[in-house]
Amino acid sequence: MSGPSPLRRFLPWAVIVPIMALDLFIVVRNPGDLDRLLINMILALSAFVTLHAKLLSLANAGFMAIGAYASAIIAVKLGMPIAVSIPLAVLICGAVALVIGLPVLKLKDVYLAICTLGFGEMVRVLIILTPDLTGGPTGANLSTGFPYEAMKQTKTWMLVAVLLLLAYLFWAIARSRIGRAFRALRENPQAASTMGIDIVAYRRMAFLMSAMIAGAAGAFYAHSVGSLDNSDFKFNRALDILSYAVLGGSGRWFGSILGGGFLTALPILLREVLGNSVGFLKNFAQLPNIINGLALLLVVIFLPGGLASVFGVRSGRKRTESAAGPGLLSPDKPAVAAVTGEPLLALEDISRHFGGLDALSKVGFEIREGMILGLIGPNGAGKTTLINLISGLFPPSSGRIVWQGEAIQHRPAHRVAKAGIARTYQNIQLFRDMTVLENVIVGRHTHIRTHLLTTLLQSPRERREERHARAEAMALLERLGLDGLAEEHAGNLSYGDQRRVEIARALAMHPRLLLLDEPAAGMNEIETGRLGEFILDLKQHGYTLLIVEHHMDLIMKICDEIVVLNFGKKIAQGTPALVSRDEQVLEAYLGRD
Amino acid sequence: MDLSLLSDPVFLLQNLVDGLSRGALYAVYAMGLTLIFGVLDIINLAHAATFMWCAITGWVVMAVFGLPLAGGLLIAMLAGACLCLLLEYVAFRPLRREGADRLSAMISSIGMSLILVSIAEAVFGVETRRFPNSVLSPKPFHLGGVRVSPAQILIMAASVVLMGAMGYFIRRTPMGKAIRAIAADQKAARLLGIHVEAVIAITFITAGALAGAAGILVGLLTNNIVPDMGGQIQLRGLAVVILGGMGNMEGAVLGGLILGVIETFTIAYLPGGSDVKDAVVFLILFLILFVRPNGIMGRRSGERA
Repeated sequence: MSGPSPLRRFLPWAVIVPIMALDLFIVVRNPGDLDRLLINMILALSAFVTLHAKLLSLANAGFMAIGAYASAIIAVKLGMPIAVSIPLAVLICGAVALVIGLPVLKLKDVYLAICTLGFGEMVRVLIILTPDLTGGPTGANLSTGFPYEAMKQTKTWMLVAVLLLLAYLFWAIARSRIGRAFRALRENPQAASTMGIDIVAYRRMAFLMSAMIAGAAGAFYAHSVGSLDNSDFKFNRALDILSYAVLGGSGRWFGSILGGGFLTALPILLREVLGNSVGFLKNFAQLPNIINGLALLLVVIFLPGGLASVFGVRSGRKRTESAAGPGLLSPDKPAVAAVTGEPLLALEDISRHFGGLDALSKVGFEIREGMILGLIGPNGAGKTTLINLISGLFPPSSGRIVWQGEAIQHRPAHRVAKAGIARTYQNIQLFRDMTVLENVIVGRHTHIRTHLLTTLLQSPRERREERHARAEAMALLERLGLDGLAEEHAGNLSYGDQRRVEIARALAMHPRLLLLDEPAAGMNEIETGRLGEFILDLKQHGYTLLIVEHHMDLIMKICDEIVVLNFGKKIAQGTPALVSRDEQVLEAYLGRD
Repeated sequence: MDLSLLSDPVFLLQNLVDGLSRGALYAVYAMGLTLIFGVLDIINLAHAATFMWCAITGWVVMAVFGLPLAGGLLIAMLAGACLCLLLEYVAFRPLRREGADRLSAMISSIGMSLILVSIAEAVFGVETRRFPNSVLSPKPFHLGGVRVSPAQILIMAASVVLMGAMGYFIRRTPMGKAIRAIAADQKAARLLGIHVEAVIAITFITAGALAGAAGILVGLLTNNIVPDMGGQIQLRGLAVVILGGMGNMEGAVLGGLILGVIETFTIAYLPGGSDVKDAVVFLILFLILFVRPNGIMGRRSGERA
């Protein structure tokens, strides 16, 4: 973990300096290009937001068109100043995004891309079909009905201000709980949802932000160019915008500004500057499209992280001290003491079918506060399915899951997590490209009490909460003997260490119930023994646990009660001693010669 | 709506003929798109650009070199096969090797599409080309008041032949069986000794040949060959593929015919028809996506995370 090599440290500048120099050169040569450059950078940010949330949205050109026409119409036909028309246009885009986002964001990746592609074209068709309002197919009415002078009134400084504002917004969000949630859900949406992150809400937020930013860019475009034509917002425009953000990289926001700056300036340089000596370039109208196409293709294949990836990974703020306090966090106690004797979690006749396969049929048992319940059974018995059901990844086909007296079988995963149920995965689901420390802090998601406003204002509370979360996470890592690896990428850790990071991440949620899916898989005997002691220690601290395991020694040693599944049915339940003597269990599970 | 038109059976029949021939084109185009989706789970957004290049290639060999229609069709299908194979090697295979996600494959195919269309515009210019009359007589036949052009007859005949050939290829031949095996489970197919990469290459070649045929047939029907002709069919192809269920061959045929008929009837029966027809296509697309994302005969349901 020594510092980056001199080459790594030099690399970012080798990207920034030439691109900025190129942009500067273009602008000095023709100041009129500045507006276009700034608008494209803003558009790049709009595409970045959706890509960052793992949404391939091609709706940007459509929102740009809505913003442009809305602002132009408000400014010219209603005679409003652009200080009114542009914000209004942005709000209109936001409203449209909220409405169409409801159905659109339910779609999976490929369908979402196709649907947003259709949306962009639909906007254009609507423009063509409403000539009285928009000038129709040719945009001619804009030049006759729209006085150019009234429309063309952008001041470049406004664009600079908007870009700076956006840069601040992105900077602040990236270092906040919100930014962390975005990074988590883009890497592993399933794990993110079981950490209490509402994926749907975050995707909606990304779509909304993207639409409003594109709308702002469109509004400025209208007032900067002074005339509008529906063909300005053809599908190719969406592809241009996409290529800026893809070149920039979907990991870090400032890459998009560089990507937009580079792809805007390069064709200008080639055609208008070099074109004077190379006549072929001057008349090569398709050059920008070819460059954008090459950028999309080459970046995806050779530099998947885009330009931003040369900046290395976000390493977070260094030197995180751990909290001096208790080494092990205890679970959140409810405000009102739980009724004793009542089960914490009760499964009532749970069944789950996959197609014609009965993964679980009529399984029922209870988990009481403070106990360790072992769940065992041969492969394919339905153990992981049961854990997935409890954590809300999918609902049971029938039956009820009762958590502290409330039926939760239809709650989405993030709400189950928020209610106090945390889990680990049999096949490790860490956020591989985030540091170990960050992984654990994601576990604090539902506990950090900051929101967009505190983030934007960088309020002292925001800093305090962040510091506190880091310290707690560090303390957990120390307890699990992982503090030396805090700044490592989770994906680089050994198998056993990754398992422990998952446990730390789940514990960071202060869950009242912890579901461990084969925590000892891949561990040797000594490690397994240590894990057993750790789990017993958790019980001492007041945790309730459900453990799926194949290590019989471990299960027999630590569990208060054991439930045995076979072919989706519960075949036995009782104390370890009882279960290990059960005829049916011996036959079905332990095998009998 | 013009009500008097509704009671006119000849007008109705005429539109049905026009709609079905248009739909047959969509079907041929969409079969290639859905074939690639079925096998690789990716949407090839450069399919429209391939289609356009085939139409232009066909125009060059027929209008410039004077080849007959059969020769033009064959060469266009060959060109489509080569181009699609190129796509596979340049845009898709490197990503598969790295285990990149589906979004990356879509983005790289978008990149290829931009490049292909731009090159066509740079080389051929943006003006419209037409097939010479010697290729196919434009003189229509009249069957009881219904006008049927030779192009329409050819389109329907060619579509039926292609659909039949595809059905036979996919259902009856060993290669078709291998394609279906990979579509069902790539890993298992590999373990069973199927040469996955080779079969995928064949898949692209087949899809490309279909795009080539569609390119020529569209050129004959609309007689309007331009580098941006792919844009028109891009969204329609996607709508058809979704309508029929992603990866479903029979669904693509049915979806194509349905879309073709709906589109033609929109133009015929709605005021301001030809402007509205795009809107209708999108409405169908949205409706299907929101109501039945698995398509009318969708069998693939594994779209849940």
